[in-house]
Parts: sequence; C-alpha cells; structure tokens
Amino acid sequence: MIGWIRLFLAELKKEHRNMFHSRLVYFSLLIWPVIGFITSYYSFKPFSLNDNSPITRFVPPDHLVLFLLTGYLAYLFFWSLVQSAWQMGYERQSGTLEMIFLTPVHRLALIYGRSFSSLLESVWLFFTFVIMILFIVEGIQVDGWWSFPFAFFILFISAVIWGGFLNAIFLFSRDAGFFYTILDEPMLIFSGVRIPPLAFPIWAKGLALFFPLTYTLHIIRMLVMEAATFIEILPSFTVLLVVLLVLINISAFVIKKAENHMKQTGSMVLF
Amino acid sequence: MLQTAKATFHRNMISMIRAYPWSFFLSHILSGIYTVLFAYFTYTYVFEGVLDSRFSNYAGTNDYLSYVFLGGALFSFAVSTLMNVSRSLITEQREGTLEALLLTPSSRKGYFLGNVTQQITRTLLEFLIILIFAFLLGLQFKHIHFLSAIFIWFCAVIGFFSQALLLGSVMLYFRDTYITQNTLFVTMAFVSGVTFPIGYLPEWVAPLSWMMPLTPALEAFRHSVLEGQGLAASGSQLLHLSFLSFLYLIVGSLGIKKTEKIVVEKIFS
Repeated sequence: MIGWIRLFLAELKKEHRNMFHSRLVYFSLLIWPVIGFITSYYSFKPFSLNDNSPITRFVPPDHLVLFLLTGYLAYLFFWSLVQSAWQMGYERQSGTLEMIFLTPVHRLALIYGRSFSSLLESVWLFFTFVIMILFIVEGIQVDGWWSFPFAFFILFISAVIWGGFLNAIFLFSRDAGFFYTILDEPMLIFSGVRIPPLAFPIWAKGLALFFPLTYTLHIIRMLVMEAATFIEILPSFTVLLVVLLVLINISAFVIKKAENHMKQTGSMVLF
Repeated sequence: MLQTAKATFHRNMISMIRAYPWSFFLSHILSGIYTVLFAYFTYTYVFEGVLDSRFSNYAGTNDYLSYVFLGGALFSFAVSTLMNVSRSLITEQREGTLEALLLTPSSRKGYFLGNVTQQITRTLLEFLIILIFAFLLGLQFKHIHFLSAIFIWFCAVIGFFSQALLLGSVMLYFRDTYITQNTLFVTMAFVSGVTFPIGYLPEWVAPLSWMMPLTPALEAFRHSVLEGQGLAASGSQLLHLSFLSFLYLIVGSLGIKKTEKIVVEKIFS
C-alpha cells in the first residue's frame, strides 16, 4: 500500500513539472473551455427558447445554462484525460516508458496516478469558474448540502477510472492521435453534454451507452437540477458502479496484454 | 518564383503521400462531419425544427440546416488551410529542413504559393466530402449560383492564405503551434457566424468578428449558395474580404521576413 501511495505521489509531481512549464497552459485550462461553453450556448440561440419550445420536453429553457454548465464541466474532466492519455505517447518517444516498466511499480497504480494528477492539473481553473457561475445562474435544485460533494465525488472517481482505461489503451499504440479524434467529439455529441440523450434516436442512444460520461452526467444532473434524493439515484448509481468495475477489469487486462506484447516485440522505446 | 512554387508543390505532395497519409486528413473530415451531425441532431430531435423568430432576419434564410452545414464545411476548410500553411515553416524547423530552406536563394512567396496549392488539392477534397455528407442530411443546393459561389470560394482561399502567413510568423516567433492555433480556432468558431448568425452576439464582440476573413467569406458564400444571388449582392462582403486579405498579406509577409531573421539567430547561432 505504501508503494502505491508513493508511486501515486511521484507520478503526480512528475506530471505537474511536465505540464506547468509556462504560463500558456492557462489557455487550455480556462480560455478554451470557457469560449467553447459560450459558443455552445450561443448555438442554441437560433432556436425557439420560449415556453412552448420543444426543448421543454427535456430541459426547461431557463435552465439551459445550468444544463450546459454541468455538461461542460463533466466533459472537461473526461476530456483532460483523453489528453493525458494522448501524452502517454511522448513518454514512449522519450524513452521513459521503458524505465518505468523496468521498475517493479504496480502498473494500475501508475495509470491511476497519471490520470488523477492530470485531472487535478487540468480542471481546477474551469472548476473555479463553474463554482462562481453557479452562484449566478438559476435553476439549481438540490436535496441537501451533500448533493454537491457527492456529485463531485462521482465525477472525480469515474473520470479517473476512464482516464486509466484510456492510458492503458494508449500503451498499445504510438500513433494515438487518431483515437483522440474518435473519442473526443463523439463523447461531446453522444454523451449528452450539449443535447439531452433522451432526445436521441435509438441508435444514438445505443452509442451513448458506451461512454461512461453518459451515466455520470445523468446522475450529476439528477442531483443538481432535480433535487434527487439518494434513494432516487441509487439505481443509476449502481449501473455506474458496474460500468466502472468492468472498466477497471478491462484496463488491468489491457495493461498486461500490452506489456507482454512489448516485451515480446521489444518495442518499448520508440515506435 | 513559379519554379520554387512548382518544386514545393511536388515535394510536399511526395511527403504527404509517403509520410503523413491519413490521420490529418481523416481528423479534419471527421471534425467537420461532427459539426454537421450535431446541428442535425439539435435541429431535428431536440427542437423539432422550431426556430427563433429573429433567425431568418439575421441569417437571411429560413433554412437552419443548410445555414449551419455550410458554416461547418467552410470553417473546417478554413482551419485546414490555416493550419497547413502556417505550420509549414515550423514543420520545416522540426524536421530539420528549415536551415536548408533558408540557405537557398529561393523565393519565399513561391514557397508559400506552392505550399498552398498543394494543400488545396487535399483540403478541397475534405471540403467536398463534408458537403456530400451534409447533402445527405439535407443541405439544399436548389438555388445555388454556381459561378459566383466558386469565385467567392476562391477569394476566401486568398483570405485564409493571408491570415495563415500572419499566423505562421507568430507561431515561428513563439515556436509554438498548439496554443496559438487552437486559441485562434476556438475564437473563429465563436465570432465568425459558423453555427449561429453574428447578430446574436453582443456588440462588443463585433470588432473581433470583423477581423476574421471567415466572417465576410461565409456571408458571401451563403448568399450565393443558399439564396442564389450573384456577386453584386455580396459586394460589401467581398470588399471587406479583400481589405482583410490585403492587410494580412502585407503584415504577414513582413512578419515572416522579420521572424526568419530572429529565428536564424535564435536557432542556428
């Protein structure tokens, strides 16, 4: 256990030094997400947003800001992990991956440390922004004070596990830029960040089930927008837990496979 | 100049085919297709086609889907052109060929000209694929005024090219591509009327949207494709576009010249 924690902290420190080499990182931390959020808000402007609008079937129009805000925050948590996983490629190119694999560290601890630290690094600024905005927007309905920390807890845990899974997948390939394209925007469309998944046709609903963000977002919105009690979210919460457990198992399996593959083909360093 | 352009065209074609075959190409197409798909979902499934009353006023058309589809397609075309041309010098630096390039007496304008024509062969293909996909989802070409659409598209290419020169010199100066280009692209998506008419934006954003060649280019392009109007209807947009192109061309070429000197001192000294 001590080994786990030590590794976890080491990875955290390393990622921090890697990321914060210049002030420009604040662009990706705050400015891009905020502009993206505003753009998506304005993209709804051409539509009718009065009380008879068809969107009222899913979200009341005056809660749209809150809907998008929760969506974007959760999306950013998950997105930053796609990015961190993408940077696993650099670890391989600079030859540090081989060194890590030569040490007896626990592989799962490594990928979860990685995803945990990059999560902390990349979302705190936007998170602060959201907290500030939350005081301004209307429509927040919670069951009690516990809803906020609980929503945050769910978001955090599921994002870290998702990040671990991605890191494990990216261990396999050098050219992971392509995965980035497949995973990034479809997640934005299908998991209900900007449009409620209930509105989807059936095939798109099926696609949505593949992204853990869908389940997480569903629970978070229930907690923050519909004042759901713990009993009410329990069924969705159980489903999320099952999904996460499956993900952990797949990640562990993939890492083992990837490491064996690399040992055999001797391709831990470049290419 | 033309000789350099031809040589650059040829060399880039070879390196594109042999070294960078699919990933860039595919990711540009996909991001255009996602924009199209997203607009379609929002329009069809969430709002069931009920639009805001001000939309047709601001947009000049009632056809939301075609409006956004054209926006998405031209936006990803602009992004491709900007990215490819502006990154060319810094790519040379990363691949180690910048030194050789700077040592030859070849014309820099010819180099960029060759570069942009080579890129157009690819970006045009991307653009057409996105348009075909949008057509399947309901993009309307009924009223298109074909000749003026092509002319406007050509003017837009010149506009993006000039902007790319400026962007390229900024990138080379800071030796950064990631932050600079993405900041520009998210801003462009916000202010240039890609997915919603700029009439909805608060007034203080307006200067920012006037600075982007994409704004007048999109307006004029929509006039001729959606409303079937000739060039006369887009006179003011074309004037705006050519002013921006001219301005960026001057500032960009000066900037490239200047940063080249700085870069030579920074890197090779």
